[in-house]
Amino acid sequence: MATADEVHISDNDLKPFFVLHKASNSQQHARKPVGRTSRKVKVNLSSSLAASDESQLLDDQLHKNSRMKNFHDAWVKIESTIKDVLHNINADVFNEINGWVQKSFGAICSSGKLDTNKATCSYPIVTDVTSNQIFTAFVVMSNIEFVDDLQTFADLGVHLQSHGCHMANLSSVDFSAKSGIGGCLRSLLRQILNGSTDAADISILASWYMEHDNYKNPVVVIIEDMDRCSASVLSDFILMLSEWVIKIPVILILGVATTLEAPKNILSSKAVQHLSPSKFFLGHPTDRLDAIIEAVLVKPCSGFLVGHKVAAFIRNCFLRQDGTLTSFVRAVKMAIVQHFLMEPLSFTVKGLLDEEVAEADAWPRQALDLPSCMRRLSEPKSEALLSGASQMKEVLNLWSSVVLCLHEVGKNQRTTLLDLYDEALDPKLYNLRNSDHLEVKPDPQRPSWNYDMHGQSFERQKGGLISRTIRQIRDLPPAALHQLLEKWDKQTEGVDMIHEKVKELRLQEDDNLKEPPTRSRKQTIRNNGNSDKLSEKAAALITCMTREHMQPIECIPFHEIVCFRNADKLQAALVGDPRKRIQLDLLECNKFLKCSCCCTKSHNVPISSMHDTSLMYTLAQEHGNLINLHDWYQSFKAVISQTTVKDKHKSKVSPSPKKRKITAQPQIITEASAQARFCRAVTELQITGLLRMPSKRRQDYVQRVAFGL
Amino acid sequence: MEDHDIDEDEFEFSRNYFLAKESGKSGKKSARKLSEIDLVDEQDLRAEVSKIEPKHEKEIASLIDSYKSLYNEWAFELQYGFGLLLYGFGSKKTLIEDFASTALTEYSVIVVNGYLQSINLKQVATAMAEVLWEQLKLQPRSASGGSIKSQQPFNSRSMDDLIAFLDGPHAPENESFVCLVIHNIDGPGLRDSESQHLLARIAACSHVRVVASIDHVNAPLLWDKKMVHVQFNWCWHHVPTFAPYKIEGVFHPLILAHGSASQSVKTATIVLQSLTPNAQSVFKVLAQHQLAHPDDEGMPIDVLFTSCRERFLVSSLVTLNSHLTEFKDHELVKLRRHSDGQDCLYIPLSKDALEKLVQEINQ
Repeated sequence: MATADEVHISDNDLKPFFVLHKASNSQQHARKPVGRTSRKVKVNLSSSLAASDESQLLDDQLHKNSRMKNFHDAWVKIESTIKDVLHNINADVFNEINGWVQKSFGAICSSGKLDTNKATCSYPIVTDVTSNQIFTAFVVMSNIEFVDDLQTFADLGVHLQSHGCHMANLSSVDFSAKSGIGGCLRSLLRQILNGSTDAADISILASWYMEHDNYKNPVVVIIEDMDRCSASVLSDFILMLSEWVIKIPVILILGVATTLEAPKNILSSKAVQHLSPSKFFLGHPTDRLDAIIEAVLVKPCSGFLVGHKVAAFIRNCFLRQDGTLTSFVRAVKMAIVQHFLMEPLSFTVKGLLDEEVAEADAWPRQALDLPSCMRRLSEPKSEALLSGASQMKEVLNLWSSVVLCLHEVGKNQRTTLLDLYDEALDPKLYNLRNSDHLEVKPDPQRPSWNYDMHGQSFERQKGGLISRTIRQIRDLPPAALHQLLEKWDKQTEGVDMIHEKVKELRLQEDDNLKEPPTRSRKQTIRNNGNSDKLSEKAAALITCMTREHMQPIECIPFHEIVCFRNADKLQAALVGDPRKRIQLDLLECNKFLKCSCCCTKSHNVPISSMHDTSLMYTLAQEHGNLINLHDWYQSFKAVISQTTVKDKHKSKVSPSPKKRKITAQPQIITEASAQARFCRAVTELQITGLLRMPSKRRQDYVQRVAFGL
Repeated sequence: MEDHDIDEDEFEFSRNYFLAKESGKSGKKSARKLSEIDLVDEQDLRAEVSKIEPKHEKEIASLIDSYKSLYNEWAFELQYGFGLLLYGFGSKKTLIEDFASTALTEYSVIVVNGYLQSINLKQVATAMAEVLWEQLKLQPRSASGGSIKSQQPFNSRSMDDLIAFLDGPHAPENESFVCLVIHNIDGPGLRDSESQHLLARIAACSHVRVVASIDHVNAPLLWDKKMVHVQFNWCWHHVPTFAPYKIEGVFHPLILAHGSASQSVKTATIVLQSLTPNAQSVFKVLAQHQLAHPDDEGMPIDVLFTSCRERFLVSSLVTLNSHLTEFKDHELVKLRRHSDGQDCLYIPLSKDALEKLVQEINQ
């Protein structure tokens, strides 16, 4: 490693590819002296903790292993939860589609009876023109980003297959102009015939269809992203299927990401004639996201939670950049990986997961050093540790039921759980709410963290979402209020502290309802008055609930153990920013190299000791769109051949090898070596893409590509 | 402090705007020519490049060393289905290979050198499948699967088959991974969208893990959302190394050696000297015309023919054309349509290069 830049070009470097090494199974076992390692966990995290004591080392090892195990458990849990949620959301549409598939199949079968005689004759028999129609479902996705729906279509495939259909999931990759009709046919046959053939001949499919009991079920072809398919290939494909539709009753399911007009625009009119379309709609991504947030993050299903800043980051990603569920799930996974990698105490997360908190599951002693419980001096320490997990669980349950109650209110106004969740997590707002009512309880959870500047103003302006939601209750008509209370009743089940109050309110409501139905004007008014009073009470209840019970995770002691808060780290891992970072590397190389020689007061002054490429890029900043090579070279040469007095006396202080060399043989930079260094720096800048090379027309100039970071 | 920063930012922004918009014709633009530098011969330059003394060797080594503490983290992320994408200035080749050989001993590792000009991904996939096949064979329990018995040689299989094999089901007890290390996944040999799609499909396979590096600032434009979120599933790591791009840069032409005036004059002289004296003279006529009329678009063929016949250089248009064909083949002369529709000839060299060339052949 030390000889990093003395690599010589070896044979392997010039091969397009080579095998670096093969998996060493024997080594794998020899390298694992600690027999307790779970097989899943191959990684140890030695960097985070430094231990001298051997027993502690062993302890650490155990902790690391349990951290990894906890990670695995938590992720498996989250993954399966997400899967269930999506499954439930899609269930209706899937059943609808399945019903339609069966109905269509019935229709095809009744129009032209299939029998082996017909199927084996060489030409498909077309009885009349209308019969060669393909039943087609246009499944409209409500998101132009089709990434989320890839999984939906895969699930749909599995769902239909479980109902007996012969399935093939194709995508736009199969319908490329390059591979033509052969490409899609080949993948169709591969999937339906289980890869036993590589030929692209539909008659193989026809004869297969007649075999055994295959003909009892329809062939369903899903094309996930119709909009991106090559139009001509798809049209040809449809025309071909329509010719064979009597022999092979194919049913098409096309995913449409844009509009329902798209198929007409893309396909040839001839192909469109053969389609007999139906429409289905998939759920909106926001709804799905809300369902997932509810199941994964609001109800602590895995013993893993995220802090406010992380939630805000994820929310911003969803709303402003990406808008896909896939990236949301990815962010959660990344967060959980980072959390278990970074938080040494995360080995105890288990305590939060189990239904019964055993004594052994108390937080470890080290947890007392966490900033969040430094302030809790009132309670005896051992008690705090012992009851920490169960208390946290209690608070979390309260919090989540309040959030869900609020969401029930907001649903009418289409308030998303995403926004509510974000605001409910904000410890600052919580403290603000409570500071108005100091009598509630002596607040032991003063915020122990600081907020950075960005994001703050954003928080302020939307700060009122929760209070706005509460205000909505007052305007609810009695029927809606009744429904709301019913939902609250359901949401708060098992959370006694709130449930009692909700029950009380419902009893009052029932009393109101028992009064005789409105007959006179007077009574109507009185009734309205009653329900007004009731909604007032409901509003008061939820206000009280938010104030007392909606304690964000970051206000709970020991939250560091289960809560991931490092939004910056998450962002860096999720979305790299090479354009900015690579430029910064070059402009501030000193930050990374930490050498003593290039330390100047201001970082943008070119000095001869700087990394050549870095120096060149710094010089390039002074040029416009086009850089004159001659000038650039001259200024580069001027800088590198500066033997300044400064250099000389500096070298006494910091004898870096380079420096010594300079003083030993004072500045013999030959023209050739200067040119060579210039060339190499230009090449390196070209590799980073920051320069465009001279064109034939402008031989003396290179072009700058990036302006500003 | 904040305010000050914002001001600075705004200043930077406007400055950059004007730098970017700076028009090519503004008076300030320097018109100096590369030929004004006393350029070293290409061979000497190449020799000199290989002799460049490294700067900051110690610092670079310790910087790269400092990334070793991240190896465990990386291996963990890799194991749980993320692909590692390393970026930052400096060659990351040594770093990645060091990581692969220390932290990924349990995986088979195949390295793809994306900085090369052409890479056959089918061969890569075949090699991966072979390695994986060996790996699975060693595991007694998983070898019972029927799919493994019926092996045909991998190199005769289609890409779809290979991917299906790599994407095979895991034995619950034993996970076998092949790690694909791709240096410069944004390199010239892999930059096309077909290769990227293929790589993405390979990366999405259940038995495959990918570690890749990028150097180009716009590399993320190679991927769409499906590739980024679902297939590659990148976990980004910023690891500037400042190590020289030795191997990566080998295939780039040196800017001071390529296409510069002196170089083209040299080659043109060599070509011209190999031609007949008459042909040389025809070229000279054209060159003198071009030097005398620097603003013209070129010399019409009939004008060239007339002036050549006057000097008894050619007797017919056929002879002239044979000379011209020779010139065009060596790219000494080019044809361009004049604004009045006439074809005219010109020499694709700058004025001073042409002067030099005329001097050379006159000697």
